[in-house]
Amino acid sequence: MNFRKKTIAKSEISTASMPDIVFLLLFFFMVSATMKKQDDQVKLKTPEAHALTEVQKQFLIKELHVGKPKNSSLGIGYKISAENKMIQLSEIGHWVETQRATLDETYKDQMIVLLRADENVDMGFITDIQQELRKYKARKILYRTLEK
Amino acid sequence: MRIKKNRSEVTVSAGSMADIAFLLLIFFLVATTLSKDKGLMIQLPPDMPPTKTRIIDRNLFKIHINSANKFLIENEVRTNLEGLVDEMKEFVLNPSNSSSLAENPEKAIISIKTQRGTTYSYFIEILDLVKEAYYQMYGEKLGITSDQFRALDRDNPTEMEMYQFARSGLPMNISIAEPNKK
Repeated sequence: MNFRKKTIAKSEISTASMPDIVFLLLFFFMVSATMKKQDDQVKLKTPEAHALTEVQKQFLIKELHVGKPKNSSLGIGYKISAENKMIQLSEIGHWVETQRATLDETYKDQMIVLLRADENVDMGFITDIQQELRKYKARKILYRTLEK
Repeated sequence: MRIKKNRSEVTVSAGSMADIAFLLLIFFLVATTLSKDKGLMIQLPPDMPPTKTRIIDRNLFKIHINSANKFLIENEVRTNLEGLVDEMKEFVLNPSNSSSLAENPEKAIISIKTQRGTTYSYFIEILDLVKEAYYQMYGEKLGITSDQFRALDRDNPTEMEMYQFARSGLPMNISIAEPNKK
């Protein structure tokens, strides 16, 4: 008796390229996720609080850092740093104006100044900064704190 | 003469590579949190010469912090701040209609005054408690906790309505007095 020979044609999809596809995805996410640049002109440790509010519109936030300079040749007292540059108290007004200019017309008056200050700063210095901000009509202040 | 080579092909299965790569992908997706900036928000008063308004003393809850970081709250020296949140809530809402507490929540003002030498973290500690007191009051109005109140999504119309209802008639009057000149 003659059996007809069965033809077994295995149709397999090669999975060898799967890792490549997944790696491509991984790289896409890694590239598209932009890390937030940390301002590292000053050293500081933010205080902790519990009743925190979250800002919905992140683009309104402009950051000011208050801490001790990392580069000790710049002095040992508390200094202000903005956009990775050390600025003087008297330069805050100029900084406010330039930051405000980056916002859309409708949001210009809603700018939020985020104050990331070291927990050991004197309130005198903070108040001086606030007086300066008030002069230039940047009146929304967000004291950056960590979650307790 | 031909010698038959014994060829045994060694292959590593590449099928599980995909799983490894997926694991990596998922790890990175989970590990990267897009952190929103959080903190304590206040609004500074406009830069104008101070206008004199008479505020009746009973409507003002005074908190002073001196340059030695000691608290003076309602003219009493305080060392621990336990129960301050409840005191502030009682002051603002004045459920017993006491003549020494605020006339009504709209008129109540909580004033924080610091000196130039006060340390920032003590000021933040107090501001945190004041905010917490108000958030608790808002939450209680809606029957939720202060954390739940803060988590309300203001883009959602029903939650926005809840938010506005809670805040109506109960403004967050926090006054941050300028320290005296040196």
